[in-house]
Amino acid sequence: MLKAVSRAAGLAKTQLSKSLPALSTCSVRLQTCPPDPTCIKEAWKIENESIISMPDEQRQKNALESTITVPTKVDLTPVNGVPEEHIKTRRVRIYKPSKNAMQSGTNNIHHWEMEFDNRQRWENPLMGWTSTGDPLSNMKIQFSSPDEAIEHCEKNGWMWYIDEPKIEKSEKPKNYGLNFSWNRRTRVSTK
Amino acid sequence: MSARQAIQVGTKTVKPVLSTTPGEAKRRVLNLYKAWYRQVPYLVKDFDIPKSEEQCRAKIKELFLKNKDVTDIRVIDLLVIKGQIELKESVNMWKQKGHIMSYFKPTEEPKPKDFLSKFFSSNE
Amino acid sequence: MTKADYYCSVKLSRCRCCQSKFFNESIRMLRQPLTRALALKSPTRAAPLAARCQATQIQPQPDKVEVFIDDKPVYVLPGTTILQATAQAGVEIPRFCYHERLAVAGNCRMCLVEVEKSPKPAAACAMPVMKGMRVKTNSDLTRKAREGVMEFLLVNHPLDCPICDQGGECDLQDQSMAFGSDKSRFTDIHFSGKRAVEDKDVGPLIKTIMTRCIHCTRCIRFASEVAGVDDFGTTGRGTDMQVGTYVEKMFLSELSGNIIDLCPVGALTSKPYSFAARPWETRRIDSVDVLDPLGSNIVVTTRTNEVLRILPRTNEEINEEWLSDKSRFACDGLKRQRLVTPMLTDSRGNLTPVEWEDAIVAAARALRDCPPEKLLVVAGDMADAESLMALKDLANKLGSENVCTEQYFPLEGAGIDLRSSYLLNTKIANVEDADFVLLIGTNVRFEAPLLNARIRKAYVHKETDIALIGPQVDLTYDYLHVGESASIVKDLATGTSSHEVMKRLQQAKRPIVILGADQLKTPEGSALLAYTQELALKVQEKLADKEWKVLNVLQRTASQVAALDIGYKPGVGKLLQSGPKVVYLLGADNGVVSRDQLPKDAVVIYQGHHGDNGAAIADIVLPGAAYTEKRATYVNAEGRAQQTLVAVTPPGKAREDWKIIRALSEVVGERLPYDNLDEIRDRLSQVSPALVNYGNVQDNNYFAQARALAQSLQKPISGKMDVQLKQLEDYFMTDSISRASPTMAKCVQAVLKQKQSSY
Repeated sequence: MLKAVSRAAGLAKTQLSKSLPALSTCSVRLQTCPPDPTCIKEAWKIENESIISMPDEQRQKNALESTITVPTKVDLTPVNGVPEEHIKTRRVRIYKPSKNAMQSGTNNIHHWEMEFDNRQRWENPLMGWTSTGDPLSNMKIQFSSPDEAIEHCEKNGWMWYIDEPKIEKSEKPKNYGLNFSWNRRTRVSTK
Repeated sequence: MSARQAIQVGTKTVKPVLSTTPGEAKRRVLNLYKAWYRQVPYLVKDFDIPKSEEQCRAKIKELFLKNKDVTDIRVIDLLVIKGQIELKESVNMWKQKGHIMSYFKPTEEPKPKDFLSKFFSSNE
Repeated sequence: MTKADYYCSVKLSRCRCCQSKFFNESIRMLRQPLTRALALKSPTRAAPLAARCQATQIQPQPDKVEVFIDDKPVYVLPGTTILQATAQAGVEIPRFCYHERLAVAGNCRMCLVEVEKSPKPAAACAMPVMKGMRVKTNSDLTRKAREGVMEFLLVNHPLDCPICDQGGECDLQDQSMAFGSDKSRFTDIHFSGKRAVEDKDVGPLIKTIMTRCIHCTRCIRFASEVAGVDDFGTTGRGTDMQVGTYVEKMFLSELSGNIIDLCPVGALTSKPYSFAARPWETRRIDSVDVLDPLGSNIVVTTRTNEVLRILPRTNEEINEEWLSDKSRFACDGLKRQRLVTPMLTDSRGNLTPVEWEDAIVAAARALRDCPPEKLLVVAGDMADAESLMALKDLANKLGSENVCTEQYFPLEGAGIDLRSSYLLNTKIANVEDADFVLLIGTNVRFEAPLLNARIRKAYVHKETDIALIGPQVDLTYDYLHVGESASIVKDLATGTSSHEVMKRLQQAKRPIVILGADQLKTPEGSALLAYTQELALKVQEKLADKEWKVLNVLQRTASQVAALDIGYKPGVGKLLQSGPKVVYLLGADNGVVSRDQLPKDAVVIYQGHHGDNGAAIADIVLPGAAYTEKRATYVNAEGRAQQTLVAVTPPGKAREDWKIIRALSEVVGERLPYDNLDEIRDRLSQVSPALVNYGNVQDNNYFAQARALAQSLQKPISGKMDVQLKQLEDYFMTDSISRASPTMAKCVQAVLKQKQSSY
């Protein structure tokens, strides 16, 4: 029983509970057919917390649900904790991953990525794994557009540049029959 | 095209972290500063650090002034939260002497700044 | 801040970037001013993705037919195959034999799809679309067909993925995971075993494990269509079918490495890379090749600070998706013969390792004591634009103007003042639209293999005809050989010749003339260039297409265009004879400067990455970085600036080249005003914005002016033209990296051995 009460309280906290009436009992549900919750007339459920909270807390809660206006340029460098040498000296490359020449599949190249300039790596003498002293070396982040990547770099104060792939191709129909055309150079003696 | 940073102008509407106005954010910062300030004598005594109260206060002022140019309310709020965490760690003695001393002296050797010494000292 | 804190915050910021919906949402509304402030060409950049997402909203187009891919309408040109149409709709159909750049074979059957109202599944790669066709790429029938094909393919395919070099990047592996069945119904192999095929020996680059072959015939089609070496084929039929050369024979092509990429299974793998690494343990760094003048785009694969292999990267404007063998396999030369520490000659004349401080001070003293007119700077094949710029600035600050390159180019007339006189103006991609190609004194096949592949593509698909003036060489396609004498160019230009070539040039709608830069070395070079300009311009004037450029000069090295752009003098000639006191070689390894040409007391400073001809004559050696070890700018033969990226760090005490010169300048007392890469690139853009406009080519237009300036140079010429690279064995070892590469040496041996064989 206790458990059920706390679960109901948890539900009541959600946004949904404000616009819809509280969960009804089964008897009500049986009477209304079809059970349309919006038709049920019932008093609004007021969250317990909002009644017992102090005015200060209430104000704080309201404030957090409101919005504020800030400059577009966000600079997270004071809070993100990245050492200055990794902000000032690093260059971010924003690019579209290239297709692996060994494979025909293209499912993993339809996004944009950012990566940092490469720094020294060495073979770890213990296991033969690769070691690096560069904490940003594995920070490859995927984005759906270069603008998002730029936004992210700007926020973190990194210098960036865009590497545009040259992969646009003109549309050219292919033709199986060309293998057998008798007067074209596409015809070859062997298969 | 060398690497660059864009010039962004204008404002946008976002959700607040704690404060809704610059004044409120400033109040939080000052509150935090005062809390640190009041804690200084205890810190010096509890951690038994070889620094005087004046030196500690000067250091606190320096660390606060390091971020004096931050204007984004949300960033200020986050900095305040981080400052509160630090303070709590210090007050509860979760930190140790070395942690406190690292405010005064960085633990790693400073790297050379001018081109020639960088060139001769490392291969970066 | 402690280290632990820092790692936490790195993690934190990563999480935030993917989760902060509200950040991004609010930003998107104000995106427009941002892009405008950046002056980015955002529409072109974002186009492909947007086009794919909005395939359903495309308006009907009159000259296209409407087909439905999984009930989504797509408009395609008539005659398009189903597979191409589905690609436009963003649906990828599994395939083994089909390849975009090769002819349609239609023999693997993996691309079977269900077409409504068709009684049986259709091979998407060969079937043209019809109006209103409804294709189902993921129906039960389609999936069953794919599963069946996979089952057949795996009947005879060995299950040796754990020891197969293709493992991890194998199309068969991927597609059997995605479309295959979990079991096979073929049990008769329990008695006879799987089919086994003898391995073939096709040279030192390609390893064959023919049992793994699934007969997709991609290698055969590549060899006959793109490489133009019709050596591969099939013998036998049914279970006995084998892909091979029939008699044992080396695959004699400069593009042979591409069949390794093409092979969808592990039948053809790279011999130098065999059993070296798995794809998931390597890092891939996009970069640019500098072993030929085209600047092909490459991916450098590395592990533990070591370059393992080089693969091509698609760039439609340069190399499509091919790569020449030297660029691909010479990477093992990057680990041998390297200069890893600064060196000075000791009292007995031997080079001994020293610290950087000593070497720089010694070099600075030599430079300072040298009278400005006695200083000579020579730049080599693989010098990047940044170091060229820094070295020229340093020489100029010391009061010297004697900066030159190893390769010669005539300075008479317009000389190097007009960019159009020394570039490949037509651009590589446009070569395939040409309808007549005149080659003058060049063996394109070995000087720029991928340009030759483009010409061959035009020859095969567009019926383009080719004529050659110069020594007769095998270009992999038929051409009209006009003669070897340079005077033919003069006769054509002045109109005194009535050779068939002239008629063809005049009739052609898009003719091009390609002149090999090597021919300009001779005293008659300037006249030859003047006549070629005259000929090309005469033809160009009459073209209907005013944008079309006829004149092309094909440079031989990756550094030449950047050096000329920056203002280096081509060729050492007179400067060397004037008896320089200090010679600064920036990777100059071609043997243009040798000890016996220099005064006895001359100091030679060599800066570069390989112990080759240059380092052999040096008194002071400053170890630099190779192209995989620095972020540097290279300008290719078209005038397209591209940058290499750091894949591995320079070995030992070697440093990035421009930094060495910058450090040296400070010790000399003439500090260069740039401390980081961005600053030196700003300097480059001051000299020419084209040098930092990465990935793009600027159009050049001062042909008429160059022609006018060249009028006085039209003197009689009579010499015979000759090219340096005639045979395949000449191709492999041409620069300090490929000369240090054991794989390239093996290639030369193998080609010479093959030449002795009777096949």
